[in-house]
Parts: sequence; structure tokens; C-alpha cells
Amino acid sequence: MAAARCWRLVLRGSGLSLHTAAEAAVKAPEVTGPDVAAAPVARYPPVVASLTADSKAARQRRVERWQATVHAAKSVDEKLRILTKMQFMKYVVYPQTFALNADRWYQSFTKTVFLSGLPPPPPARPDTEPAPALDVVALRDAACDCLLQEHFFLRRKKRVPLYLEHEAITSPFLDQLVASLTGLLSARNPALANAALDCKRPVHFYWLRGEEIISHGHRKGRVDALRYQINDKPHNQIRISKQLPEFVPLDYSVPVEIPVMNCKPDKLPLFKRQYENTIFIGTKTADPHCYGHTQFHLLPDKLKRERLLKQNCADQIEVVFRANAIASLFAWTGAQAMYQGFWSEADVTRPFVSQGVITDGKYFSFFCYQLNTLALTAQADQNNPRKNICWGTQRCQ
Amino acid sequence: MALASRSARLALARLGRLGLGSCGAPRRGAYEWGVRSTRKPEPPPPDRVYEIPGLEPITYAGKMHFMPGLARPVFPPWDPDWTPPKFRRLPPLHEHPLYKDQACYVFHQRCRLLEGVKQALWLTKTKLIEGLPEKVLSLADDPRNHIENQDECVLNVIFHARLWHSTEDIPKRETYCPVIVDSLIQLCKSQILKHPSLARRICAQNNMLSTTWNRESTLIQVHGSSGAQLNAKDPLPPIASQEEVEATKNHVLETFYPISPTVGLQECNVYDVNDDTGFREGYPYPYPHTLYLLESANLRPHRFQPDQLRAKMILFAFGNALAQARLLYGNDTKVLEQPVVVQSVGTDGRVFQFLVLQLNTTDLASDEGVKNLVWIDSDQLLYEHFWCLPVVRRKAVVEPVGPTGFQPETFRKFLALYLHGAV
Repeated sequence: MAAARCWRLVLRGSGLSLHTAAEAAVKAPEVTGPDVAAAPVARYPPVVASLTADSKAARQRRVERWQATVHAAKSVDEKLRILTKMQFMKYVVYPQTFALNADRWYQSFTKTVFLSGLPPPPPARPDTEPAPALDVVALRDAACDCLLQEHFFLRRKKRVPLYLEHEAITSPFLDQLVASLTGLLSARNPALANAALDCKRPVHFYWLRGEEIISHGHRKGRVDALRYQINDKPHNQIRISKQLPEFVPLDYSVPVEIPVMNCKPDKLPLFKRQYENTIFIGTKTADPHCYGHTQFHLLPDKLKRERLLKQNCADQIEVVFRANAIASLFAWTGAQAMYQGFWSEADVTRPFVSQGVITDGKYFSFFCYQLNTLALTAQADQNNPRKNICWGTQRCQ
Repeated sequence: MALASRSARLALARLGRLGLGSCGAPRRGAYEWGVRSTRKPEPPPPDRVYEIPGLEPITYAGKMHFMPGLARPVFPPWDPDWTPPKFRRLPPLHEHPLYKDQACYVFHQRCRLLEGVKQALWLTKTKLIEGLPEKVLSLADDPRNHIENQDECVLNVIFHARLWHSTEDIPKRETYCPVIVDSLIQLCKSQILKHPSLARRICAQNNMLSTTWNRESTLIQVHGSSGAQLNAKDPLPPIASQEEVEATKNHVLETFYPISPTVGLQECNVYDVNDDTGFREGYPYPYPHTLYLLESANLRPHRFQPDQLRAKMILFAFGNALAQARLLYGNDTKVLEQPVVVQSVGTDGRVFQFLVLQLNTTDLASDEGVKNLVWIDSDQLLYEHFWCLPVVRRKAVVEPVGPTGFQPETFRKFLALYLHGAV
């Protein structure tokens, strides 16, 4: 087959270089039919589509060439640079959003399954000694101290008005709470003692998912990938140097289906903008603390419970928490995975796990996220049975 | 005013009264009383029936609409009992409830003292000792107190603060200064496994401190917030022994005539003399442990000079100590049997100043007697310079990315100040 193709190409004489034509002419007489195609090493250069033609095969070859440069990149920074250097219009996804039913949309964007409740506890290993009893009283006292300090004991310059209460009181309270609890719990978890604590550091993630037909412009009618970017600023985050163990195995199949949205993301509402594509976990790639432990988010005044109740959106209160968790934790775990060199064509070989606590100052919700797959592009997602999983609790006071 | 001199304006007003001024433009005087188009129309004159005394005019006020034949009602001028905050004028200073005749010189967090440390020492009746006290230095040198891979961790912290924590190539001081102090405190906190009493502390910000004292018939006040403050449940033990405290009686405070000791302080007549630590009573962490003062402005003229920063540290540490002493031992001026100790760390992200202040006496009016003690370790560099981008000369890397002139001693002192009182 190969030989016959070679002959036809040589006779046509266009597109092939002289070198390949001569080689084909030389090699052709030695080939004796289709059984030689089973030879392990072909002694002629590979027959591939053109690079510059205006055809689907040529485009595919260009895409594969670009993907080969990413695979061949020597450092993670270079890989991220190649993946993010071309800027196109992309949807800007806000984790803290007032959009209705945003959590179902975000589940479809990030291929995440939402399970209520916390993940199953890890099986108790018989060789490790039992952990010391948790001093709940001390932890409760510390939490009460932080709360009382900000709300009552601390005398500030001016009496804080209601609309500033959020940033002037709740924000420092959350800072103090995270710091004191981390300190108290580091006895049980030595990784926490050496952890890095970030305060309002940005987290960025850029990914492609799904396809659309371009509706207007000079590329009208062509198929284009949908690009998304999350620019998040968690209130606090804890980063550790060793990865958290997985909750469930990598290929764990969840019977729950991911919601499929039948309209364009613009309906959410989600808007497109073109600006720098960044992937950032809170520090640059050189930091040894490159794995995430927990993120803490503070919901803004705009999304507080009283306002939603006034707008007759009582069922959206949970949605706000869930959407924030799914988007933020997906962005963080995805960025952690990309810092390790994985991307959509080189899918993760181990699950990336992070936790999140989302609060509005009074109600707390706890979430756990396991990233099983980064292959969300249309090409990579064709035969990908893996789904990302997010566990979450109801809000607790 | 359009014209500077009154005579010229009068001359033109005379000209303009004839009608329009020169060149057909509106009179110059018109602008003095408001542009004519925005002037409100005059109210119509009240009905003649109001000029008849003893007569009650029948008006259409009750009918809520105009009725020809009835008199126009004249209402009393409306007195709004509430002005929006935007339009409220402050009462003149003399009428303020807290106005006092004696002027008070207030030190707040942006005060730069002209004579720096000397002035701060005179204001607080303190004796300066260069270098940190032996007790604290021994904590620094004790290898049991060291964190494992301490130098490596500190280098990571410097890298993180100066380079890694932001997506920019070269982060600015306003972001990296608080990040480096927070990370160093977090690193010190990791010793909580060895010293569980480190959990009996909490960090607080934006507390308003206010203390007043008399210093040779001038009233001095420290007022304001000093940034982040570490409070503890247990007080710091006194450092200098009784003999050293008695020995300070012979010390003479340095004066700097002809400069007045209150130069640089804000003079004000409206002040409140009550002491305020910044926390209400019943606060579970009543003892101030360390104050962290950051100079994180991007531009050098906006930052304090090291001398001015040390003076600010002395005064705020003294203010905290004095407020604490008055809370514990009452308002009378006396020599304290249990001296109050407060520490302070001031930095601009690279250069650190360490301070330990021991308050021995609240009798500050006279120049004689026991003085307070302060130990200062000034200008401790954590690193000389940090290259965010490698320096390349003729295609060879001359300086790699990272800090140059790293001094691990500075972090050991920082750690010692943190562990002091808990070890």
C-alpha cells in the first residue's frame, strides 16, 4: 500500500520534495507488496499531510506540531508559556457569582461531579499509631477568642458602619482564625507546621473545553474551541510541600451524571474578553510548596444571605457556595497539576486533591475536590471516562 | 475673585451699573453674587391681609391646593433637625467638648521626630543600650531553638516574598513587605510543636492606642494604631535586674538644645486624657508582646528613615507599656516593682530594627530618678540585595536570581524575640 501510494505521488510530482521523490523511486523496487508494510522500520520518510495547505489534514498536522513542542518543552515554565502565549477571546468565569444555578453550569465547564457530604475517610492503617485525641475545647476557645476579638474587644478608630463590616471585621477575623487553627492543629499534622500561608494571593487558571461554531467575523462558520479563564483571589490558602493523599482512586467511576447545558455559556451570563492567559497557584513554579491543602473564601456583601432572601432567591444560597467551591478548587487543583507538567494532552497520572472552606462570616461550608482529569478539550475528551469530583456539605453555622 | 483690588472692582461695578460692561459681556460684579441663570427667583410678597393686625387670614393651606380668593399661607421656615454628613460643618475648636487650654503634643504613626532616637529617649525618660539583651541573644544562639533547615527556610521565604508570590516579574515593596513579615512569623510559629505555650498568643491589627503623660510640664500623648501587634496571655518577664534599674538613676538624659523636645509632634488642644490600650476589659490576651511596624511605601521619601523608624518604635512600645502599667498598677506615678516589658520589630522588607523596652517607672514628670531601659539592635540586614532577574554580561550570568549578602543572624534574632517569654 505504501509503495503504491509512493508511486502515485511520484508520478504527480507536486508537493513532494526532490529528496523524498528520489528516495521513493530508489526504495520502490525493493518493496514487494503489502506484507512488507508489516516491517518494523519503514525505510522511507513518513508520508504525512502538508503543513501549509488549506485543508483539515494540514490543520491537524499543525496542531500536532504545536502539541509536540509542548511535549518537548524542557521546563514547566516553558510548557506553560507555549500553552498560554496565544491570546484569543475567552469566557471569564467568576467563582463568586450571582448567576442563577451557576453551580450546574460550572460543573459542565469543569467536568465535575458534585456529591453531598464529605468523602469517605481513608482506611485506618494498622502500622501507624492512633492519633492523639483532638482537643476540641482548646480549638473552640481559640475560635471564640478570634471572633470576640474582632467583633467586641478590639477598639477601632471609628465605629464601623454596616456596609463596611464585612471587610473591616469579618476579613481580619478569618485571617486570625486560620492562623490560630493552623498553629493549634500543627501538633497533629506536622505538614501544617511547615506549610505556607497565603493571604489574598491570586489564583489563575486557563483551560479549553468544548467547541462552538463561530457566528460572525472573518472566521465565520468554522469550529473553534471554547476558552475559559478563572481569576480568583481566595482570602487565605495553605500550601504544603507534599501532596495530599487521594480520596478515591483515579479511575473511580461515579454513577452521578454531569449536567449538560444545551445553550452557549453566554446565557449564564458569561462574557468574553481577551487578555493575558495566566496559570498561577499563588506562587511561581520554583516554590517547593507547590501542592495545595486548603483554601478559605469569604463571600462578598453582594452575595450575602439577607440580600438573596430579599430577591426571592432562597434556593440560590447553597448554589452560591457550591459554585464558588467548584470553580475555585478546580482552578487551584488544575493549576497545581499544570505546575507538575500535566496538561490536556498529557493527563494527570495521580489525582490532585485540595480542600476548601467557604464562609460569609456566619455560615461555613466545607468542600473537598479531587482532580482526576485535565483532558477537557474536545480532542482529548473523546474517550475519557474520568470525572473530577467535588464533595460538599450544607452550610453550618 | 476676578479682580484682586477692591477699588478696581468698584470702578467696574460703577461702569457696569449702566447696563452691560465693556464689550457687551455681563458685568464683572455679576459673578460675585452668583450666575444670574442659577439665581433662585424671589418669593412673592405676602398678601396685604397679613398687614392687618389682629386678623386671622383664611388660607388655602388646609385644602392642599391653590384656591383663588383665599390668602397665600405663610409657613414658618422649616428647620431640618438633621444635616447629611456631607454638609455638616465642624464646630469651632473652642466649642468642642474636649477642648482644653493646655496644648497636648500628640505622636501618631506618621510623626517624624527631628532628633530621632535622642528625642524619643528624652520624651520617654529612657536609657539606651546598644544591642539586644543577653537573655534574648542566648535564645538566638541556643541550637535547641533553631528550626530544622532554618537557613533554607528563610531563603525560601525571601524568594517567596521578593519574587514568587505575584505574577509580576518584580513585585513592589507594598506587596512584599507584609508578605515577608507574615511568612517570617509563620516560620517562627512552626516552633509551636516544641513550645506549646506559643499557642497562648494572638495577632491583632488596627487597635487604637492612647496614653498621655507629663514630661516637664508638657503633655505628651501617643495616639493611633501601630500596625500588627502580638498579644499574649502571660506577661514578659523583666530583663534588667533591680541593681541595673537602680543604676539608671545616675544616667543623665541627653538634651538637644536649642531644638525643642516637642518638635515633630502634633500640637492640639482637643484631646482626651483617658488611657486606652485598644482593647476592652476582659480581653483574654491582655499583655502586648511585640509590635510589628512596617514601612512598606513604594517611594523612598514616603518611608521613614531608620532613625525615625526607631524613634517611632520606641514611642509606640512605650505607649503600650505605659497603658498596660496604668491598667495593672493604677494611675499614680511611681516606680514599678514588676517592670513591664514590650518588644518591637520595625522593617522595610530588607533592613530590620529590633527593640526591647522595659518600663521601670511611671514617674516621668521629672528628669531625676529611675529611668526606663531600651535595648536597640539597629540596621540588621536580612540580605544585601535581591536580583529578581539574572544579571547577564556578555552572555554569561554574573549574578543569579536570588538574594546577595544573606545574613542568617537577623532571622535568629527575629526568632529569639518571638520565642522570648514562651521558652
